[in-house]
Amino acid sequence: MNAIEVKNISKSYGRVQALCDVSFAVGKGEVFGLIGPDGAGKTSMFRILCSLLLPDAGTAVVDGYDVVKQMREVRSRVGYMPGKFSLYQDLTIEENLNFFATLFGTTVAEGYDSIKAIYSQIERFKDRKAGALSGGMKQKLALSCALVHQPSVLFLDEPTTGVDPVSRKELWEMLLMLKESGITIVASTPYLDEVRCCERVAFLDQGKVRGIGTPDDILTQFASIFNPPGIDKSEGLKVKSEESENVIEVEHLVKAFGSFHAVDDISFSVKRGEIFGFLGANGAGKTTAMHMLTGLNQPTSGTGRVVGFDIRTEYEQIKRHIGYMSQRFSLYEDLTVAENIRLFAGIYGMKDDEIRRKTDELMERLQFTEHKNDLVGSLPLGWKQKLAFSVSIFHEPGVVFLDEPTGGVDPATRRQFWELIYDAARRGITVFVTTHYMDEAEYCDRISIMVDGKISALGTPDELKQRFHQPDMDHVFTYLARQATRSDS
Amino acid sequence: MKQFIAFVIKEAKHILRDKRTMLILFGMPVVMMLLFGFAITTDVKNVRTVLVTSEMSPRTQQAVERLAQSEYFIITQTVNTPQEAERLIRSQKADMCLTPSPSPKGEGSSNLQWQIMVDGSDPNMAQQWTTYAQSILSQPVDGKHYSLPSPFGEGLGVRLLYNPQMKSAYNFVPAIMGMLLMLICAMMTSISIVREKEKGTMEVLLVSPVRPLMVIIAKVVPYLVLAFAILITILLMARFVLGVPLAGSLFWILAVSTLYILLALSLGLLISNVAQTQLVALLLSAMVLLMPVVMLSGMLFPVESMPQVLQWLAAVVPPRYYIEAMRKLMIMGVGIGEVAREVAVLAGMTVVLLAIALKKFNVRLK
Amino acid sequence: MIKYLIQKEFLQIRRNAFLPKLIIMFPIVIMCVMPWVMQMEVKNIVVDVVDIDHTVESQRLVQQIAASNYFIFGGQKATYADAMKDIEKGRADVILEIRGGKYLIAANAVNGTKGSMGSAYLSQIVTSNVTHHTSNITPLTLYNKGQNYKLYMIPALFAIVMMLMTGFLPTLNIVGEKEAGTIEQINVTPVSKWSFILAKLIPYWLIALFVITVCLLLAWFVYGITPVGPVWLIYVLAMLLALFFSSFGLIVSNYSDTMQQAMFVMWFFVVSIMLLSGLFTPTRSMPQWAYLTTYINPMHYFIDAIRTVFIRGGGLHETVHQVLALAGIGTLMGCWAVQSYKKNS
Repeated sequence: MNAIEVKNISKSYGRVQALCDVSFAVGKGEVFGLIGPDGAGKTSMFRILCSLLLPDAGTAVVDGYDVVKQMREVRSRVGYMPGKFSLYQDLTIEENLNFFATLFGTTVAEGYDSIKAIYSQIERFKDRKAGALSGGMKQKLALSCALVHQPSVLFLDEPTTGVDPVSRKELWEMLLMLKESGITIVASTPYLDEVRCCERVAFLDQGKVRGIGTPDDILTQFASIFNPPGIDKSEGLKVKSEESENVIEVEHLVKAFGSFHAVDDISFSVKRGEIFGFLGANGAGKTTAMHMLTGLNQPTSGTGRVVGFDIRTEYEQIKRHIGYMSQRFSLYEDLTVAENIRLFAGIYGMKDDEIRRKTDELMERLQFTEHKNDLVGSLPLGWKQKLAFSVSIFHEPGVVFLDEPTGGVDPATRRQFWELIYDAARRGITVFVTTHYMDEAEYCDRISIMVDGKISALGTPDELKQRFHQPDMDHVFTYLARQATRSDS
Repeated sequence: MKQFIAFVIKEAKHILRDKRTMLILFGMPVVMMLLFGFAITTDVKNVRTVLVTSEMSPRTQQAVERLAQSEYFIITQTVNTPQEAERLIRSQKADMCLTPSPSPKGEGSSNLQWQIMVDGSDPNMAQQWTTYAQSILSQPVDGKHYSLPSPFGEGLGVRLLYNPQMKSAYNFVPAIMGMLLMLICAMMTSISIVREKEKGTMEVLLVSPVRPLMVIIAKVVPYLVLAFAILITILLMARFVLGVPLAGSLFWILAVSTLYILLALSLGLLISNVAQTQLVALLLSAMVLLMPVVMLSGMLFPVESMPQVLQWLAAVVPPRYYIEAMRKLMIMGVGIGEVAREVAVLAGMTVVLLAIALKKFNVRLK
Repeated sequence: MIKYLIQKEFLQIRRNAFLPKLIIMFPIVIMCVMPWVMQMEVKNIVVDVVDIDHTVESQRLVQQIAASNYFIFGGQKATYADAMKDIEKGRADVILEIRGGKYLIAANAVNGTKGSMGSAYLSQIVTSNVTHHTSNITPLTLYNKGQNYKLYMIPALFAIVMMLMTGFLPTLNIVGEKEAGTIEQINVTPVSKWSFILAKLIPYWLIALFVITVCLLLAWFVYGITPVGPVWLIYVLAMLLALFFSSFGLIVSNYSDTMQQAMFVMWFFVVSIMLLSGLFTPTRSMPQWAYLTTYINPMHYFIDAIRTVFIRGGGLHETVHQVLALAGIGTLMGCWAVQSYKKNS
């Protein structure tokens, strides 16, 4: 018997067709992947299956019950983790978990085994409020809350956005354990390694099912989207002579919150035109370090210079010469593309006609001209990200800081994004980037990996692979991050 | 049941952890009661009076002294011409000016002629000042003591029922109850439900095995308790700090308040159905609930004096009936039979609103 | 660069689903509804008469009461107890009993103003009817000769306009950017503290001025009310009050994390400031402790000054004291506001 049967489901919001005649079936105890670019209709599909949304046409049966007519039966059998699962910010970790456990009619003690692998990482901070956690830790807590009970069908909508590779592996190990006990799992994900963990996947695009099959089949069939050719690093690469000047110099930098050292004595330097990958597990201190370099935070001790200015005293001058793209998407959603560009360019003191000329150029380069007057809020996520990056380097800064710029988008879009980064680097802009995608780490000139507030490795990707005797960056990262003794921000 | 209790505890924690909001929620009634009880009065007091005279006869002197001795007026200065006095009034240095003039009927007449010039910007106060000054000045000259304001001769008695000292607190306490209970129950409940929608936790709650009705009831319970705590605070302050009598039966006061709280909660639910963001919920409750309560419930401004259209509008404002009922029950001490009409209207509104709110409650997303 | 920031604010205001409607509707509601609501004038008092005597005189009195625009004749009642029933039911406000040539006025004084005003009006009618004596006191009312309550309230409404437009709206806007995370993006740009704050405030100040202008025009067209004193002084006063409210709102937004918190804190202080300002009730009637607070209450200075200009026809000379006080308090709050806004932590 199939756990889920979807027949000819359609759903539209106004004129936008979110799902169009979608049909698929998931067997009992299967791990099924729902993949596709942003805006493909994945979230709508999940909501319909959870009986949260009424389809316009078609039927869906979950665990033997119709999602339209037998809402109560469906709801008592499924577990759901929405994409923007949000915790109660003013409750502590433990209180959140207890509440959700009781809500699902179980207790933490009963469900502990199924969440142990992830929850144990945050358990020692159980009295901390959820609002005070870093993005990745919140996601881990949300996962714990969603998995604490064992429903017969589990829906996970992009559960690992912003989670570091090590924790992602642990999550999937847990999911495969759940499968052993007969739970059907439907998950969506932008990560290819996670797609490969599924038994079968359905590829959705623009509300239509393009293909259903084993991960390998689908990934090969749609290789242009999922497996774009890697960027040729040698192509037109700038001469990075050894004597090229340092744009970022950091020595013994420390940031302490009370007795807790979020950033604990780090030193490194970045040369002009370099693409510097700043890697680390959730809560290793990446964002805090970046905030100090961009003048948002004062260091507790240590020195640093960015584009020649002291980060302690001359942070206002630094701001003039850098670009920044934050983890939280940061263009104004209620302004159009052109208006956002105009605003940020104006802030950096560019003249009106210069702005106009460069805006047209940029729009042309991005093939974006027809969307110039669209509200940013109406664009798909991948476009927003490309746009945010273009805006952050619009004033030709010396360095651009990117904090997890490509979270939650498909490989093809990420690849386009990296082409933009290479483009900027070729023009002499230094790129300082954090990411959880290890394929992106390979694209960087040099990488540092932070563990527990310290830099535990620094070098080119090839150097690091050799030094730690690992086949690729993913393994290097896992090897280093597993040595962590704390996981906190 | 266990889920229900866990839910209520969670909701209570949300309320208790937000210290600033808590402080305001309990500080508000206290400050409002003190302000309305003591500071907001329209008593005639300390009226700054200027005397326009070049010379004063003993008679004038006597009358002026009588005026100055009263707690209502203070003579601030003496000027020579009415023009000077007018300038003083214009620059906010005086409120009233008194000009004695020689009696046309000659010196022998017992009547003194006075002209009172008063700052008429505030018509009510101007009227009251004139009445008070008139009654003091026109008393028999030989009478050593003055009394107020009974210049009405023999055969006329005035009796001020229920509130002989004319304390404004008697009027405001029921109004404050009506306003604060509405604010807490409707605004806070709607915001707390909309917050879950906005943050996405509502999706999880809906998909969980818990019945949607239970989610709502569990959300409402802590606010119900909070509303009662505030109600009791107000009643205790009214009785022991402001000295407002609780003339009616306490049972009925609480019973009618409970009905009103339920009404407010249903309104909050209704708002949470309509609003998608906290900001909208906030603005909706502020504009749809708070403004009419303050403006149209007869709290500050008498409804009877308004144009007909506004009176009709006021007739559908629920707090108006509650405040009316509370005034009768608390201050006038009438039985429940006399407020039957108000209670019936409130009950009717509650049933209708609650029915709409529950029917409209979305068990699905749109 | 401030030009671009201001442009952005205007664009955002225009795109907002709610604000443009508010800016249009607000002055209309404020000027066309509020003056009718905000009157303390006591009118339409229902009088029950218990006429035991049934004389010609008492009948004439009843006619006079019915003719007065303060009163509504509620009906003849056989006994005082019957009339009391009406009061208890809320159907009548005042009872006039005429028994053996004596008059008794019993007024429901739960609402103190209504009770005392009602009984005072009624006793005036009775006295003049009974004694026919002429007063030797001639009252002369200055400025508001028509005893028009609207004239008294309209200038006070400007205070409410400024409070909402320059206090609440920018505060919500800033807390909104905080919640959306866009403020972080602005903080890593070279935008200075001053340009950021000014760019947030200037649009709302301009809107507030626009709204006030519309209000002045509406007062003129709808009620025929125009300020007696100089108009420019009204704008100066409004700007000074805006300085205070904006600074206050900024301080609140700098210390709050959510909109709900900011709203509640603002609301709490604003209500207290308004009630203690003399907007509704005369400050001189307050007890000493409450009166002392008016010395630091900017709203009090504003209300005093704007009524002087608007109704009494005073100029700068008459209001110099208030203008200075307002400017002082505003500057102080402004310094605190700029101080408390931090780009770097």
